[in-house]
Amino acid sequence: MIPDSDLQMLMARYQRGDLAAATALIHRLSPQLHRFFVVQFASRVHADDLLQETWLRIHQARHTYRAGEPVLPWLYAIARHIRVDHYRKALRAASREERLEEMPEMAAVLPAGGGRTPDLKTLLAPLPESQREVIEMLKVEGMSLEEVARATSSSVGSVKQKVHRAYEKLRERLTGMGLSTGRTGGQS
Amino acid sequence: MRDREIDEILKEAAQAPHDVETALLDRIAGSIGSSLRPVRPLPPAWLLVGGLVLICAAVALAGAARLGLYGIQRLSVLERALIFPALGILLWLAATAFVGEMIPGSRRRVAPGFLLVAGSLALLAVFAVLFHDYRTDRFVSQGLACLTAGLLHAIPAAFASWLLLRRGFAVNSVAAAMAAGTLAGLAGLTMLELHCPNFQALHVMLWHTAVMPLSATVGGILARRAN
Repeated sequence: MIPDSDLQMLMARYQRGDLAAATALIHRLSPQLHRFFVVQFASRVHADDLLQETWLRIHQARHTYRAGEPVLPWLYAIARHIRVDHYRKALRAASREERLEEMPEMAAVLPAGGGRTPDLKTLLAPLPESQREVIEMLKVEGMSLEEVARATSSSVGSVKQKVHRAYEKLRERLTGMGLSTGRTGGQS
Repeated sequence: MRDREIDEILKEAAQAPHDVETALLDRIAGSIGSSLRPVRPLPPAWLLVGGLVLICAAVALAGAARLGLYGIQRLSVLERALIFPALGILLWLAATAFVGEMIPGSRRRVAPGFLLVAGSLALLAVFAVLFHDYRTDRFVSQGLACLTAGLLHAIPAAFASWLLLRRGFAVNSVAAAMAAGTLAGLAGLTMLELHCPNFQALHVMLWHTAVMPLSATVGGILARRAN
Protein backbone atom coordinates (compact mmCIF):
# COMPACT_ATOMS: atom_id res chain seq x y z
CA MET A 1 0.00 0.00 0.00
CA ILE A 2 1.34 3.45 -0.93
CA PRO A 3 1.28 6.09 1.87
CA ASP A 4 -1.25 8.80 1.06
CA SER A 5 1.29 11.52 1.88
CA ASP A 6 3.43 10.29 -1.05
CA LEU A 7 0.42 10.35 -3.32
CA GLN A 8 -0.51 13.85 -2.16
CA MET A 9 3.01 15.06 -2.92
CA LEU A 10 2.92 13.44 -6.37
CA MET A 11 -0.53 14.95 -7.07
CA ALA A 12 0.74 18.42 -6.14
CA ARG A 13 3.68 17.99 -8.53
CA TYR A 14 1.37 16.60 -11.24
CA GLN A 15 -0.80 19.73 -10.91
CA ARG A 16 2.35 21.82 -11.40
CA GLY A 17 2.99 20.01 -14.69
CA ASP A 18 5.69 17.56 -13.57
CA LEU A 19 5.75 14.65 -16.04
CA ALA A 20 7.83 12.43 -13.76
CA ALA A 21 5.18 12.77 -11.03
CA ALA A 22 2.38 11.99 -13.50
CA THR A 23 4.24 8.90 -14.73
CA ALA A 24 4.94 7.77 -11.16
CA LEU A 25 1.26 8.11 -10.27
CA ILE A 26 0.21 6.14 -13.35
CA HIS A 27 2.63 3.32 -12.59
CA ARG A 28 1.81 3.18 -8.88
CA LEU A 29 -1.96 3.47 -9.01
CA SER A 30 -2.87 1.70 -12.24
CA PRO A 31 -2.62 -1.89 -10.91
CA GLN A 32 -5.18 -1.23 -8.18
CA LEU A 33 -7.45 0.73 -10.51
CA HIS A 34 -7.21 -2.06 -13.08
CA ARG A 35 -8.10 -4.64 -10.43
CA PHE A 36 -11.02 -2.44 -9.37
CA PHE A 37 -12.40 -2.66 -12.91
CA VAL A 38 -11.67 -6.38 -13.34
CA VAL A 39 -13.41 -7.22 -10.05
CA GLN A 40 -16.43 -5.21 -11.19
CA PHE A 41 -16.93 -7.81 -13.93
CA ALA A 42 -15.03 -6.15 -16.71
CA SER A 43 -12.86 -8.37 -18.86
CA ARG A 44 -9.13 -7.55 -18.94
CA VAL A 45 -9.57 -5.88 -22.32
CA HIS A 46 -12.46 -3.79 -21.01
CA ALA A 47 -10.47 -3.01 -17.88
CA ASP A 48 -7.60 -1.76 -20.06
CA ASP A 49 -10.00 0.57 -21.88
CA LEU A 50 -11.56 1.76 -18.63
CA LEU A 51 -8.12 2.37 -17.14
CA GLN A 52 -7.10 4.54 -20.10
CA GLU A 53 -10.37 6.44 -19.96
CA THR A 54 -9.99 6.95 -16.22
CA TRP A 55 -6.52 8.44 -16.56
CA LEU A 56 -7.72 10.69 -19.33
CA ARG A 57 -10.55 11.92 -17.08
CA ILE A 58 -8.18 12.26 -14.12
CA HIS A 59 -5.94 14.35 -16.33
CA GLN A 60 -8.84 16.61 -17.36
CA ALA A 61 -10.05 16.95 -13.77
CA ARG A 62 -6.67 17.13 -12.01
CA HIS A 63 -7.29 20.72 -10.93
CA THR A 64 -10.24 19.51 -8.81
CA TYR A 65 -7.87 17.69 -6.44
CA ARG A 66 -7.25 19.91 -3.44
CA ALA A 67 -3.90 19.83 -1.64
CA GLY A 68 -4.00 18.09 1.72
CA GLU A 69 -7.06 15.99 0.88
CA PRO A 70 -6.71 12.19 0.60
CA VAL A 71 -5.93 11.15 -2.98
CA LEU A 72 -7.60 7.73 -3.14
CA PRO A 73 -11.22 8.89 -2.55
CA TRP A 74 -10.78 11.51 -5.29
CA LEU A 75 -9.29 8.95 -7.64
CA TYR A 76 -11.86 6.23 -6.95
CA ALA A 77 -14.75 8.70 -7.26
CA ILE A 78 -13.60 9.38 -10.83
CA ALA A 79 -12.97 5.68 -11.53
CA ARG A 80 -16.48 4.83 -10.28
CA HIS A 81 -17.91 7.52 -12.54
CA ILE A 82 -16.16 5.94 -15.55
CA ARG A 83 -17.36 2.47 -14.57
CA VAL A 84 -20.97 3.60 -14.10
CA ASP A 85 -20.82 5.47 -17.40
CA HIS A 86 -19.45 2.40 -19.13
CA TYR A 87 -22.07 0.19 -17.50
CA ARG A 88 -24.85 2.54 -18.60
CA LYS A 89 -23.57 2.58 -22.18
CA ALA A 90 -23.24 -1.22 -22.19
CA LEU A 91 -26.76 -1.54 -20.84
CA ARG A 92 -28.08 0.74 -23.58
CA ALA A 93 -26.24 -1.26 -26.22
CA ALA A 94 -27.46 -4.53 -24.70
CA SER A 95 -31.06 -3.35 -24.68
CA ARG A 96 -30.75 -2.63 -28.38
CA GLU A 97 -29.15 -5.96 -29.18
CA GLU A 98 -30.69 -8.44 -26.78
CA ARG A 99 -33.17 -8.62 -23.96
CA LEU A 100 -31.68 -8.07 -20.50
CA GLU A 101 -33.16 -11.32 -19.23
CA GLU A 102 -30.84 -13.18 -21.53
CA MET A 103 -27.70 -11.70 -19.92
CA PRO A 104 -25.64 -14.17 -17.85
CA GLU A 105 -26.40 -14.48 -14.16
CA MET A 106 -23.47 -13.09 -12.17
CA ALA A 107 -24.10 -15.03 -8.99
CA ALA A 108 -23.53 -18.29 -10.81
CA VAL A 109 -19.78 -17.59 -11.14
CA LEU A 110 -18.77 -18.75 -7.65
CA PRO A 111 -17.89 -22.47 -7.67
CA ALA A 112 -19.21 -24.62 -4.85
CA GLY A 113 -17.08 -26.95 -2.70
CA GLY A 114 -13.29 -27.26 -2.45
CA GLY A 115 -10.97 -25.70 0.12
CA ARG A 116 -8.77 -23.47 -2.06
CA THR A 117 -9.18 -19.70 -1.74
CA PRO A 118 -10.77 -18.45 -4.98
CA ASP A 119 -9.42 -15.34 -6.67
CA LEU A 120 -10.81 -11.97 -5.65
CA LYS A 121 -13.12 -11.60 -8.63
CA THR A 122 -14.70 -15.01 -8.00
CA LEU A 123 -14.89 -14.41 -4.28
CA LEU A 124 -16.76 -11.13 -4.63
CA ALA A 125 -18.88 -12.25 -7.58
CA PRO A 126 -22.05 -13.07 -5.60
CA LEU A 127 -22.18 -9.60 -4.07
CA PRO A 128 -24.21 -6.76 -5.56
CA GLU A 129 -22.10 -4.10 -7.26
CA SER A 130 -22.47 -1.54 -4.45
CA GLN A 131 -21.25 -4.03 -1.82
CA ARG A 132 -18.48 -5.37 -4.03
CA GLU A 133 -16.89 -1.97 -4.60
CA VAL A 134 -17.08 -1.08 -0.92
CA ILE A 135 -15.43 -4.37 0.13
CA GLU A 136 -12.73 -3.93 -2.48
CA MET A 137 -11.87 -0.39 -1.43
CA LEU A 138 -12.02 -1.14 2.29
CA LYS A 139 -10.55 -4.62 2.60
CA VAL A 140 -8.36 -4.91 -0.46
CA GLU A 141 -7.08 -1.39 -1.05
CA GLY A 142 -6.97 -0.60 2.66
CA MET A 143 -8.97 2.63 2.50
CA SER A 144 -10.65 3.87 5.68
CA LEU A 145 -14.44 3.98 6.15
CA GLU A 146 -14.33 7.76 5.77
CA GLU A 147 -12.36 7.49 2.52
CA VAL A 148 -14.74 4.88 1.08
CA ALA A 149 -17.69 7.08 2.03
CA ARG A 150 -16.07 9.99 0.17
CA ALA A 151 -15.29 7.87 -2.90
CA THR A 152 -18.83 6.53 -3.10
CA SER A 153 -20.58 9.83 -2.21
CA SER A 154 -22.28 8.23 0.76
CA SER A 155 -22.13 8.34 4.54
CA VAL A 156 -19.90 6.27 6.82
CA GLY A 157 -23.05 4.64 8.22
CA SER A 158 -24.14 3.55 4.76
CA VAL A 159 -20.68 2.08 4.05
CA LYS A 160 -20.77 0.16 7.35
CA GLN A 161 -24.19 -1.21 6.47
CA LYS A 162 -23.00 -2.37 3.04
CA VAL A 163 -19.94 -4.07 4.59
CA HIS A 164 -22.14 -5.81 7.14
CA ARG A 165 -24.50 -7.10 4.46
CA ALA A 166 -21.59 -8.15 2.22
CA TYR A 167 -20.01 -10.09 5.11
CA GLU A 168 -23.30 -11.87 5.78
CA LYS A 169 -23.40 -13.00 2.16
CA LEU A 170 -19.72 -13.92 2.06
CA ARG A 171 -20.05 -15.88 5.30
CA GLU A 172 -22.89 -17.89 3.84
CA ARG A 173 -21.00 -18.62 0.62
CA LEU A 174 -17.63 -19.33 2.19
CA THR A 175 -19.12 -21.63 4.80
CA GLY A 176 -20.82 -23.49 1.94
CA MET A 177 -17.45 -23.81 0.21
CA GLY A 178 -15.79 -25.16 3.36
CA LEU A 179 -13.19 -22.41 3.46
CA SER A 180 -13.35 -21.74 7.20
CA THR A 181 -11.55 -24.95 8.21
CA GLY A 182 -8.20 -24.40 9.87
CA ARG A 183 -8.60 -20.63 10.17
CA THR A 184 -8.78 -18.90 13.51
CA GLY A 185 -9.75 -15.47 14.76
CA GLY A 186 -12.47 -13.51 16.50
CA GLN A 187 -15.36 -11.30 15.55
CA SER A 188 -13.98 -7.96 14.38
CA MET B 1 -17.24 -18.25 10.21
CA ARG B 2 -16.07 -15.05 11.92
CA ASP B 3 -15.41 -11.66 10.40
CA ARG B 4 -11.66 -12.00 10.96
CA GLU B 5 -11.63 -15.22 8.97
CA ILE B 6 -13.38 -13.50 6.09
CA ASP B 7 -10.81 -10.68 6.36
CA GLU B 8 -8.02 -13.24 6.05
CA ILE B 9 -9.60 -14.91 3.04
CA LEU B 10 -10.05 -11.54 1.34
CA LYS B 11 -6.46 -10.57 2.15
CA GLU B 12 -5.21 -13.87 0.75
CA ALA B 13 -7.24 -13.45 -2.42
CA ALA B 14 -6.01 -9.87 -2.82
CA GLN B 15 -2.36 -10.88 -2.49
CA ALA B 16 -2.37 -12.46 -5.93
CA PRO B 17 -0.28 -10.10 -8.09
CA HIS B 18 -2.25 -7.96 -10.47
CA ASP B 19 -0.02 -6.50 -13.12
CA VAL B 20 -0.88 -4.17 -15.92
CA GLU B 21 1.07 -4.29 -19.18
CA THR B 22 3.93 -1.82 -19.07
CA ALA B 23 3.23 -0.91 -22.69
CA LEU B 24 -0.28 0.20 -21.71
CA LEU B 25 1.04 2.31 -18.84
CA ASP B 26 3.65 3.89 -21.09
CA ARG B 27 0.94 4.65 -23.64
CA ILE B 28 -1.20 6.34 -20.97
CA ALA B 29 1.79 8.31 -19.66
CA GLY B 30 2.63 9.31 -23.23
CA SER B 31 -0.85 10.59 -24.01
CA ILE B 32 -1.00 12.54 -20.75
CA GLY B 33 2.51 13.91 -21.18
CA SER B 34 1.67 15.45 -24.53
CA SER B 35 -0.90 17.79 -22.93
CA LEU B 36 0.68 18.25 -19.52
CA ARG B 37 0.62 21.84 -18.32
CA PRO B 38 0.46 23.39 -14.85
CA VAL B 39 -3.11 23.82 -13.62
CA ARG B 40 -4.58 26.12 -11.01
CA PRO B 41 -6.32 24.02 -8.32
CA LEU B 42 -9.88 24.90 -7.38
CA PRO B 43 -10.26 27.44 -4.56
CA PRO B 44 -11.06 26.08 -1.08
CA ALA B 45 -14.58 24.71 -0.66
CA TRP B 46 -15.57 27.38 1.89
CA LEU B 47 -14.77 30.09 -0.62
CA LEU B 48 -16.90 28.44 -3.30
CA VAL B 49 -19.77 27.93 -0.85
CA GLY B 50 -19.54 31.57 0.22
CA GLY B 51 -19.49 32.68 -3.42
CA LEU B 52 -22.61 30.64 -4.22
CA VAL B 53 -24.52 32.01 -1.23
CA LEU B 54 -23.54 35.56 -2.21
CA ILE B 55 -24.65 35.01 -5.81
CA CYS B 56 -28.06 33.70 -4.72
CA ALA B 57 -28.53 36.48 -2.16
CA ALA B 58 -27.58 39.08 -4.78
CA VAL B 59 -30.01 37.64 -7.37
CA ALA B 60 -32.82 37.53 -4.78
CA LEU B 61 -32.14 41.08 -3.54
CA ALA B 62 -31.75 42.58 -7.00
CA GLY B 63 -34.94 40.88 -8.23
CA ALA B 64 -36.97 41.93 -5.20
CA ALA B 65 -35.62 45.49 -5.36
CA ARG B 66 -36.63 45.71 -9.02
CA LEU B 67 -40.15 44.34 -8.33
CA GLY B 68 -40.58 46.16 -5.00
CA LEU B 69 -39.68 45.09 -1.46
CA TYR B 70 -43.34 44.87 -0.38
CA GLY B 71 -43.07 41.50 1.31
CA ILE B 72 -40.32 42.25 3.79
CA GLN B 73 -41.93 45.61 4.63
CA ARG B 74 -45.15 43.87 5.68
CA LEU B 75 -43.50 41.00 7.57
CA SER B 76 -43.35 41.28 11.37
CA VAL B 77 -40.03 41.06 13.21
CA LEU B 78 -40.81 37.48 14.31
CA GLU B 79 -41.69 36.46 10.77
CA ARG B 80 -38.48 37.97 9.43
CA ALA B 81 -36.48 36.37 12.23
CA LEU B 82 -37.82 32.92 11.35
CA ILE B 83 -38.08 33.01 7.55
CA PHE B 84 -34.78 34.55 6.52
CA PRO B 85 -32.46 32.58 8.84
CA ALA B 86 -34.23 29.39 7.66
CA LEU B 87 -33.65 30.39 4.04
CA GLY B 88 -30.04 31.31 4.88
CA ILE B 89 -29.36 27.90 6.43
CA LEU B 90 -30.94 26.12 3.47
CA LEU B 91 -28.94 28.25 1.03
CA TRP B 92 -25.74 27.36 2.83
CA LEU B 93 -26.64 23.64 2.89
CA ALA B 94 -27.57 23.64 -0.81
CA ALA B 95 -24.37 25.49 -1.72
CA THR B 96 -22.33 22.98 0.33
CA ALA B 97 -24.09 20.08 -1.39
CA PHE B 98 -23.50 21.60 -4.84
CA VAL B 99 -19.81 22.22 -4.18
CA GLY B 100 -19.47 18.68 -2.80
CA GLU B 101 -21.05 17.23 -5.93
CA MET B 102 -18.65 19.18 -8.16
CA ILE B 103 -15.46 18.05 -6.41
CA PRO B 104 -14.77 14.30 -6.63
CA GLY B 105 -14.12 12.56 -3.33
CA SER B 106 -15.68 15.29 -1.21
CA ARG B 107 -17.28 14.48 2.12
CA ARG B 108 -21.03 14.30 1.51
CA ARG B 109 -22.68 16.11 4.38
CA VAL B 110 -26.16 15.98 2.92
CA ALA B 111 -27.51 14.18 -0.15
CA PRO B 112 -29.20 16.54 -2.67
CA GLY B 113 -32.42 14.47 -2.69
CA PHE B 114 -32.65 14.47 1.09
CA LEU B 115 -31.89 18.19 1.24
CA LEU B 116 -34.68 18.90 -1.22
CA VAL B 117 -37.30 16.91 0.69
CA ALA B 118 -36.17 18.00 4.17
CA GLY B 119 -35.77 21.63 3.05
CA SER B 120 -39.24 21.76 1.50
CA LEU B 121 -40.79 20.24 4.63
CA ALA B 122 -38.88 22.64 6.90
CA LEU B 123 -40.09 25.65 4.91
CA LEU B 124 -43.66 24.33 4.89
CA ALA B 125 -43.45 23.99 8.68
CA VAL B 126 -42.12 27.55 9.10
CA PHE B 127 -44.85 28.96 6.85
CA ALA B 128 -47.54 26.88 8.57
CA VAL B 129 -46.46 28.21 11.97
CA LEU B 130 -46.34 31.85 10.84
CA PHE B 131 -49.29 32.31 8.47
CA HIS B 132 -52.88 31.54 9.48
CA ASP B 133 -54.93 33.33 6.85
CA TYR B 134 -56.50 30.44 4.97
CA ARG B 135 -58.45 32.49 2.41
CA THR B 136 -57.72 31.67 -1.20
CA ASP B 137 -58.46 34.92 -3.08
CA ARG B 138 -57.23 34.75 -6.70
CA PHE B 139 -55.38 31.63 -5.64
CA VAL B 140 -54.36 30.35 -9.06
CA SER B 141 -53.69 33.64 -10.89
CA GLN B 142 -51.60 35.15 -8.06
CA GLY B 143 -49.97 31.81 -7.41
CA LEU B 144 -48.91 31.31 -11.00
CA ALA B 145 -47.51 34.85 -11.10
CA CYS B 146 -45.38 34.15 -8.01
CA LEU B 147 -44.28 30.73 -9.26
CA THR B 148 -43.24 32.19 -12.61
CA ALA B 149 -41.36 35.08 -11.00
CA GLY B 150 -39.58 32.68 -8.62
CA LEU B 151 -38.55 30.34 -11.41
CA LEU B 152 -37.45 33.23 -13.63
CA HIS B 153 -35.11 34.39 -10.86
CA ALA B 154 -33.83 30.85 -10.37
CA ILE B 155 -32.49 30.87 -13.95
CA PRO B 156 -29.86 33.63 -13.50
CA ALA B 157 -28.95 32.20 -10.08
CA ALA B 158 -28.39 28.77 -11.65
CA PHE B 159 -26.40 30.24 -14.51
CA ALA B 160 -24.15 32.34 -12.26
CA SER B 161 -23.65 29.37 -9.89
CA TRP B 162 -22.68 27.18 -12.81
CA LEU B 163 -20.21 29.85 -13.97
CA LEU B 164 -18.57 29.87 -10.55
CA LEU B 165 -18.26 26.07 -10.49
CA ARG B 166 -17.69 25.48 -14.21
CA ARG B 167 -14.20 24.08 -13.51
CA GLY B 168 -15.62 21.42 -11.21
CA PHE B 169 -16.13 17.82 -12.21
CA ALA B 170 -19.45 16.16 -11.40
CA VAL B 171 -19.14 12.42 -10.88
CA ASN B 172 -22.94 12.25 -10.59
CA SER B 173 -24.32 14.90 -12.91
CA VAL B 174 -27.97 14.33 -11.92
CA ALA B 175 -27.21 14.81 -8.22
CA ALA B 176 -25.09 17.88 -9.02
CA ALA B 177 -27.85 19.39 -11.16
CA MET B 178 -30.43 18.70 -8.47
CA ALA B 179 -28.25 20.44 -5.89
CA ALA B 180 -27.77 23.38 -8.27
CA GLY B 181 -31.53 23.48 -8.96
CA THR B 182 -32.29 23.47 -5.23
CA LEU B 183 -29.86 26.33 -4.69
CA ALA B 184 -31.25 28.35 -7.59
CA GLY B 185 -34.81 27.62 -6.46
CA LEU B 186 -33.94 28.96 -3.03
CA ALA B 187 -32.73 32.19 -4.64
CA GLY B 188 -36.12 32.49 -6.37
CA LEU B 189 -37.96 31.67 -3.15
CA THR B 190 -35.95 34.26 -1.20
CA MET B 191 -36.84 36.86 -3.82
CA LEU B 192 -40.54 36.01 -3.37
CA GLU B 193 -40.32 36.35 0.43
CA LEU B 194 -38.75 39.78 0.00
CA HIS B 195 -41.22 40.89 -2.65
CA CYS B 196 -44.62 39.17 -2.31
CA PRO B 197 -47.06 40.87 0.11
CA ASN B 198 -49.61 38.03 -0.14
CA PHE B 199 -49.40 36.18 3.21
CA GLN B 200 -52.31 33.81 2.70
CA ALA B 201 -51.03 30.54 4.14
CA LEU B 202 -51.91 28.31 1.20
CA HIS B 203 -50.50 30.77 -1.31
CA VAL B 204 -47.11 30.90 0.44
CA MET B 205 -47.03 27.19 1.27
CA LEU B 206 -47.90 26.00 -2.21
CA TRP B 207 -46.75 28.55 -4.77
CA HIS B 208 -43.67 29.94 -3.01
CA THR B 209 -42.34 26.64 -1.70
CA ALA B 210 -42.94 24.94 -5.07
CA VAL B 211 -40.19 27.04 -6.68
CA MET B 212 -37.47 24.99 -4.96
CA PRO B 213 -38.61 21.43 -5.87
CA LEU B 214 -39.61 22.52 -9.38
CA SER B 215 -36.25 24.13 -10.01
CA ALA B 216 -34.42 21.04 -8.64
CA THR B 217 -36.56 18.73 -10.77
CA VAL B 218 -35.87 20.74 -13.91
CA GLY B 219 -32.14 20.57 -13.11
CA GLY B 220 -32.28 16.81 -12.60
CA ILE B 221 -34.26 16.24 -15.81
CA LEU B 222 -31.90 18.38 -17.88
CA ALA B 223 -28.87 16.51 -16.53
CA ARG B 224 -30.49 13.14 -17.17
CA ARG B 225 -31.28 14.13 -20.75
CA ALA B 226 -27.72 15.37 -21.25
CA ASN B 227 -26.42 11.96 -20.16
